[in-house]
Amino acid sequence: MSAKSPPRTSLQKLLSRFHFGITLFAVALSGLTILLAGITAMRGYADRNIELAAQLGAYGVEPALVFNDAAAAREGLAPLMRIPGIAKLRVLDDRGQPLTEWASPTPDPAPLLTRAFFPKPYAVTIRRNGSAIGTIQVWGDSSTLIDYVRIGLLAGLACLIVTALGAIVMARRFEYELVKPLNAIATVAHDVRLHRRFEKRVQPLGIAELDRLGGDINALLDELQGWQGSMESEKAMLAHRASHDALTALPNRAAFDEQLALRIAAARQRGGRFVLLFIDADNFKEANDAFGHAAGDAVLVALSSRIRETLRSGDFAARIGGDEFTVLVDPLDAAVEPQAIADRLRAAIAQPLMLPGGELYRPTASIGFAVFPFQADGAAELLTAADAAMYADKLSNRTRS
Amino acid sequence: MGVAKRVLASLFLIGALLSTPQMSVQAASQTIIDDGVDGLTRAVNRMLGGIISYVRWPGAEQSSRTLCLVGAPRLTDRITPGIPGGGPAIAVRRLTAAAVTGGSDCDILFLGRMPADDRQRLIGWVRGRAVLTISDDDPACLYGAMFCLARKADGLSFSVNLDAIGRGPLRVDPRVLKIGQSDGGAA
Repeated sequence: MSAKSPPRTSLQKLLSRFHFGITLFAVALSGLTILLAGITAMRGYADRNIELAAQLGAYGVEPALVFNDAAAAREGLAPLMRIPGIAKLRVLDDRGQPLTEWASPTPDPAPLLTRAFFPKPYAVTIRRNGSAIGTIQVWGDSSTLIDYVRIGLLAGLACLIVTALGAIVMARRFEYELVKPLNAIATVAHDVRLHRRFEKRVQPLGIAELDRLGGDINALLDELQGWQGSMESEKAMLAHRASHDALTALPNRAAFDEQLALRIAAARQRGGRFVLLFIDADNFKEANDAFGHAAGDAVLVALSSRIRETLRSGDFAARIGGDEFTVLVDPLDAAVEPQAIADRLRAAIAQPLMLPGGELYRPTASIGFAVFPFQADGAAELLTAADAAMYADKLSNRTRS
Repeated sequence: MGVAKRVLASLFLIGALLSTPQMSVQAASQTIIDDGVDGLTRAVNRMLGGIISYVRWPGAEQSSRTLCLVGAPRLTDRITPGIPGGGPAIAVRRLTAAAVTGGSDCDILFLGRMPADDRQRLIGWVRGRAVLTISDDDPACLYGAMFCLARKADGLSFSVNLDAIGRGPLRVDPRVLKIGQSDGGAA
């Protein structure tokens, strides 16, 4: 990682920050709206309260104005003095002279609020039979509003907290729902890349877009797995072809050399022994010439299958040349004579076989062997010894026949 | 509008009844008398007009009411009640007690100074009739007139005789009753 690369953040953190911002904005906006609406409503309520008080006062002081009676006016105002939220009352007669006045003995709890809400008194003209006989003025104060404001602010704050908490919880849930499937996809991709586990697949996901992404990744993995499989089988085929003879399907010379080196090393390590047999078909060239290449091939295939069938599963047979075969009988039991193995092979090879042309052919082979480590303890020496033994056998065969 | 008035009235009454005890001790209602020669006369006529305007006679509204003046008024000779804001016109007639009981169409009876017999006879005659009685010769309001005017040290006041009002068919605004009552209580 170079120092220039920009700082990375997780999707969860990004979403969290984003959601927090949105939540804060929404909550602040709604809170402000509610506060404004509340203040408007409270203002209306307070105005109505003052208006009703003024009407009540107008009704109460009406006879006092008719009789020009200050004490009666005061009595008429008495019900208003018990209404909370009234700071001052004044009754004026028809000439604008004050008849009576009253001021609340309780101090204004919030003069600022009062100034904002009740900048001037509410006045009602008192009429008797249609003509004005006086005026009543009512000054409101904040003693009723202060409770509304207090409760309103508290309730608003509580709402803010509840809303914020709810929004945060829901945002967390959303983030989890979104990040979980992304993590599932990432885990699969990582697993495939790191451990070459092409059989891994993304499970079906709850979110349509991510599920489609998962499906595409799965399809990609299917293709990858296909390529991987065919590549491996092709590799195995190529490896087989490189080490095996195409005609008889036996390992070839190169495979035999490798195998011989391995077995020598293993036998050396465990102090064991094994025998290398060298088999050469007799008169193969003549048979090839007499019956054709197809017949020669058939003879080679028959020889190789007969050799293979005679051996144990742990033993090794290879075709190292045109009509030359080698066999490794490994390990060689102490009770078994290598000559017995050679005889058994010779007998198996000597079974007659039907050539493609319909002729009956009876193949023979010369077999020589060398035991590791008695005759030789190197690969080349062992092979030379077995080859020499085979020649000796071939010569004696010729003299025999 | 009528409903609103009634609601206001009941609100007012409740408030008034609740506040009565402290109020009656606090102050007696006093109509302020203006300075000058005619100050008292104006105050009396204003008070008479005020009382009349708060009284409801049974039956339809009429454009004029007749005030029958019996005896000698003590506060002022010039009884010409002024209805505030222009109510019904008040026609003032001076009559003897006999003329009143003998057959007249008095809506309002103003009782000045008169022999006790006459007063008794007139009060008796009014009983059950739709006639408003006002006296200025009975400061304690004990002789049966519905409203009694009285000159006090610092003004003019009136008291109410609830029994007298209760016996008759007239309806009086409770606010006025209350003003008169608290004054009467103090007197």
